[in-house]
Order: sequence, then C-alpha cells, then structure tokens
Amino acid sequence: MQDHVHHHDSTRDGSSDATPGGIVDKRRPGELVFTACLVIFSGVLLWNAYGISGFEALSGAGSVPMATAAVMLISVAIVFWRTVKLSKTEDETVMEDITPPLVIILALFLVAYGVLLKPLGFLPTSALFLIASIKLLSKRSWGFTLLVSLGSLLAIYLVFRIVFTVLMPAGIVPEAEALQLLRNLFKGGA
Amino acid sequence: MDAFMAFLTIFTHPELLVLVGVGTFAGVYVGAIPGLSVTMAVSILISFTFSWDVLPAISLMIGIYMGGVYGGSRTAILLNIPGAPSAIATAMDGYPMAQRGEAGEAIGTTTVMSFFGGLVGIVVLAVLAPVVSDFALKFQPRDYMLLAVLGILLVGSLSSGSLVKGIFAGALGIAIGAVGMDPLTFTERFTFDIPLMRGGINFIAVMIGMFGVSEALMQLHHVDTPAIRQKINRIVPSFGTIRKHLPLSLQTSTIGVLIGALPGTGGDIAALMAYDHAKRVTKNPSRPFGEGAIEGLVAPETANNAAVGGAFIPMMTLGIPGDAVTAIMIGALFIHGLNPGPMLMVEQPDMFWFIVGALVMANFFMLLFGLTGIKLFTKIVEMPRAVLIPLILLLSIVGAYAVNNSITDVYWMLGFGVFGYFMRHYGYPLGPVILGVILSRLLDDNWRRAIISEREDLGRFFHGIVTSPLSLVLFIAVILIFASQTPLWTKFRKKETASK
Repeated sequence: MQDHVHHHDSTRDGSSDATPGGIVDKRRPGELVFTACLVIFSGVLLWNAYGISGFEALSGAGSVPMATAAVMLISVAIVFWRTVKLSKTEDETVMEDITPPLVIILALFLVAYGVLLKPLGFLPTSALFLIASIKLLSKRSWGFTLLVSLGSLLAIYLVFRIVFTVLMPAGIVPEAEALQLLRNLFKGGA
Repeated sequence: MDAFMAFLTIFTHPELLVLVGVGTFAGVYVGAIPGLSVTMAVSILISFTFSWDVLPAISLMIGIYMGGVYGGSRTAILLNIPGAPSAIATAMDGYPMAQRGEAGEAIGTTTVMSFFGGLVGIVVLAVLAPVVSDFALKFQPRDYMLLAVLGILLVGSLSSGSLVKGIFAGALGIAIGAVGMDPLTFTERFTFDIPLMRGGINFIAVMIGMFGVSEALMQLHHVDTPAIRQKINRIVPSFGTIRKHLPLSLQTSTIGVLIGALPGTGGDIAALMAYDHAKRVTKNPSRPFGEGAIEGLVAPETANNAAVGGAFIPMMTLGIPGDAVTAIMIGALFIHGLNPGPMLMVEQPDMFWFIVGALVMANFFMLLFGLTGIKLFTKIVEMPRAVLIPLILLLSIVGAYAVNNSITDVYWMLGFGVFGYFMRHYGYPLGPVILGVILSRLLDDNWRRAIISEREDLGRFFHGIVTSPLSLVLFIAVILIFASQTPLWTKFRKKETASK
C-alpha cells in the first residue's frame, strides 16, 4: 500500500487559485504532451486571430484576439521550455495518476449521457447514468444502488422541475401527460 | 434614506429572508463537504435561477457564498481536509486542536471569528464602495483595460503556483470570451467557420465545466478514502479567547478585506496571507503554530470571511470581479439585465444597498448555523463520494443544459470539464480563465475606445498613461508583476530566502 499513498495527496489536485496543484519542480506524466498541445493550439489561435482583421487598425476586431493569442503562445512556450528541463516524477504513471480507468469510464459515461439525453429523455438517461456510476464507484449491492440512485433522481427532479421550473427533454417519457394527470387527480380530489 | 430602505429590503421580505437563510445553510454544507465548492455551487445555481427575479436569485447566491467560505473550516478542523479552498490555512492548526480533543472549541472560535471578519468586510464595503464608485466615474477606458489586465495577473502572482501558467490561463479566458461575432464590426472571431460558434461560447457552460465536472473527476482519485468519524458533541465558543485575540482578528480582517478587494484575488489567498501575518506578529502563540495555535485559526478565518465584503467592492463599483465566485456573480447580474460598474451605483444604488443588507443577514445566519447542528453535520459529511460524484456530474449536466435548453452547451461543458481536469493536474490555476471570460468584453471594448480616442496612435496612448497618475500606478503594477517573472528577480528572491 505504501507506494499508493500519493494517490491521496490532495496537494496535487489543484483545488483553488491559492494552490493550483501540479508538482512545482517535477514533470508529471503526460505534462509534456499536454503543454505541446497547448503550444500548437495557441499557434493555431494566433494564426486565426491574424485572419480576423490583420494589422489593419489598432482598434480592429482582431487586435485584442491577436494580442491574447500571442500572450498565450509566448507564455505556454515558456512553460514548455521549463517543462522540458524538469526531471520526471519517479512514482507516477499516466494510467495511475493522471487518467486512471475510473476517470476515463466516467468521462465516457458523460459523453453517452449527452448522446442519449435528447432521444431517451432526462429521466431514463439520468437513471441509467446514476445507477451505472454509483454501482461502479461504490461497489455496493444492487438494492443500495437502485435505492440511492432512484431516490436522489426523484429528489433532483422534483426540486428542479418544480422549484426551479427547469425543462429537460422528455424523450420517451410522457412527462407532460403524467403531470397533467396528476393535476387532474388533485383537482378531482379537492 | 432611500439607501436605508433598500438596505432593509431583505429584513422586511420574508421570502427573501428565507432564501438567504436557505442559501447560507446550503453554503455551510457545500463548503464543508470535500468535493463540493462554492464556485461549483454558484455556477450551477446561476443556470437554475436565471428565470427568477433578480432579488431572490441574488439572495440565494449571497447566502451560499457567505456560508460556503465559512463551511470549509469545519472539515478542515475535523478531518484535516479543507472543505473549501479558503479553509486550507485553517487545517494547519485546526486539525491538531481536534486531535487534542478541542474540536468543539476550535469550531466555536472559528464561527465567531468568521462572523467578526464577515462583519468587518461588510462595513468596509458599505463605507468604501460609494467612494470608489465616485472615483471610478473619472476612470478612462484605458484605466479599465489596465485594471482588467491587473486582475487577471494578480491571481497568478499571489498564488503559490507559476505565474506564467496563470497568465496563460487568463489569456485563454479572454480568447474564450472573444469567440463569436464581434459586437462592433460583426466580423467573426475564433469561430473557425463553424456556424454553431457564431453565438459564442456560453460562459456558464465554461464555468460549470471548469468548477463542477473537473472537480468531480478529480475527486475520483479519492473515491476510496474512508470517512473518518470524529467524536464531537458540543460547539463551545470561548469568549475569553475571542476577547484576547480581538486585536489580531482586526488586523487579519483588514488583510482579508484588502486582498479580497484586489481584483482577482479572493478568500483562499487572503486566508494564507493572514496566516502568514499571524505567524510573524504573534510573539507567544498559545501553542507553536502548526500544533494547534488558536491564532492560526483566528487569522485565516477572519480573513477569508472579510474577503467576501472586500471582493464585492471592485465587483459592484468597477464591474471587475474580486475572485472566481464574484466573477460568476457578475455573470448572474448580467443575465438579470444589470451591468455592474460605477453607473450601477449611480443609477441603481438600491441594488447595492440590498446586497449589503443580504450580506449582513447571511452573516448572522452563518453564526446561527455555525454554532448549531453538529449532529446533522457529521451525518452529511459522511456522505460517500461514490454517491456524491455522480450527483455533482448530473447536476452539472442539468445546469449546463438548462441555460439555453441546448445540448451544445452540455458538450462545451464536458469539454471544458476534461480540459480543466488536465489543467489542475499540471498546475494551471482555473480562476484566471473565468476572470478572463468575464472580463473579455470589458477589456476589448475599453481598449478600442481608448485607442480610438487617441486616434489610433500608440505613442499618444502611452503618453496618456504616463501623464495620468491613476493609469501610471496601474501600469507600473502590471509591469512589476511581469518583472517578478524575469530571471533577474528570481535570482534576487533566491538570495533573499537564502540569507534568511
């Protein structure tokens, strides 16, 4: 277990602006690739910004974008230069410390959520998402998983649908009809 | 008199009062639960309250803000896990106190001190904001531009990370804010000829992604960390201790307000600086710092709550956010058709006084909830991350979707969530990104106004800066921050620390 202690080292997480995370004098796995991507991205952005209005006027639509992209490129180039010179952290790997399987799976769940939201509707998609991820993360029984996921989904639905009146895609659930039915029921009762 | 009536609005409207109360209560728990942050809560909340009237929406958010800054201290003391960034310094002496069985006293002192700090911050806000806004009416466009740049730079320079990364993050934010049609010339900017991007990137999606999704993904690393049960039955504020530390708390509150009022810097930085100050000025701490010194609790807790009032000063008077949460609040005010800045204080002073009233109320609620409910608290904090993380993710999606009923926003949010996740891993601060997004328009507009008024002449522009005392001060501040990054300065600093 000793070698896994650093997994709980929250100082590397970057929880605030006062302590932005990372490791100051070491290069973490994947850091160089990430920085290189940022350099390329900033370069593309600068090229794109130049295309907006070029050097035609200081007050042109492209001036601030160009200045901004230039600042991005210069700053991230400095970061890249510094990162290259740093020595690697000894106890970290990409698959363990940067993108462990759990993170990748949850990220894929989120993409799947986005894809299914429109066709399937809010309630079924959210139910699937919560059940799958709570089961995966908690490793508890199906009873616990179903109770917690459906219970909290119901609470979220009631709060946001009724208090905040947020409209989510209904999809295959005849939500409006159900609510109308409920209203009629209460009217009939009163 | 009108100002006074506006100040009283919150006290005479039960529904607003309830919302501040609910907000503060929720804030204390949001702040306390590791993995939930105030920035996260407020950014998700904007999307849900944007159909509300402005007063209820603001009441709720102010409550959450005030409560959240305080709430982080409890988990810092009990579990050595700061529930919120502003409580990082609190853990250093709070947890050792809890280990000695003084958790009740630590929480009691923290609560009263937070209340005190909060009050100092609000008083300073009420006194200074009108003065600053009068002064701000004389600001030239170039001053606004310089202030915006300064705000973004300050986050990077006062934090413990690398300034270059902070500068990159801020510039990235400005670029994100510029995406879409230029409002003046209707040229497309950074749209890459994709029709969907002409409308720009919804800043709420960026915020929820950066502070909601990325944080939740980060928490996945700690999903197996077991909750530690702490025995604590009663919260006891020790009034003797509080009286004894009044002078220190006044100093650290002042530090808090000042740091909070600097554009770009908030409670987390204020707390660390106040802790540092306490360490330097306290000759005989109750125990050595780091081993349960009560001074080590007083300083950060007064400072971070004082910073709340401080952060509202540049936000209300200049339209420049004091920290990430106020950046989000500015976004909320925009959505409700208000335009924070000196004109807001002239045209709608009621709004300002209403906010001051709401802050006062939130501060009292914080005291109330801070001294009660410890049983419920220990239950809620034990909520397993395995349940919490999926719920945060679900709320983030609902929040991003709800703003425009658009699935595109959900994808932007996810994209920025993943991107923010990597930024955290590699030590890039996220606050400057949000500051940049919010300030992008202000920066762009004021630069163009400034340079047009100087007939597109850069020489005249600099002449203008050098001949106006205010612009000159701002300009020098910006230059100094940059200079602090040059090798020469680093060498100087190293020498200094070596000689210590």
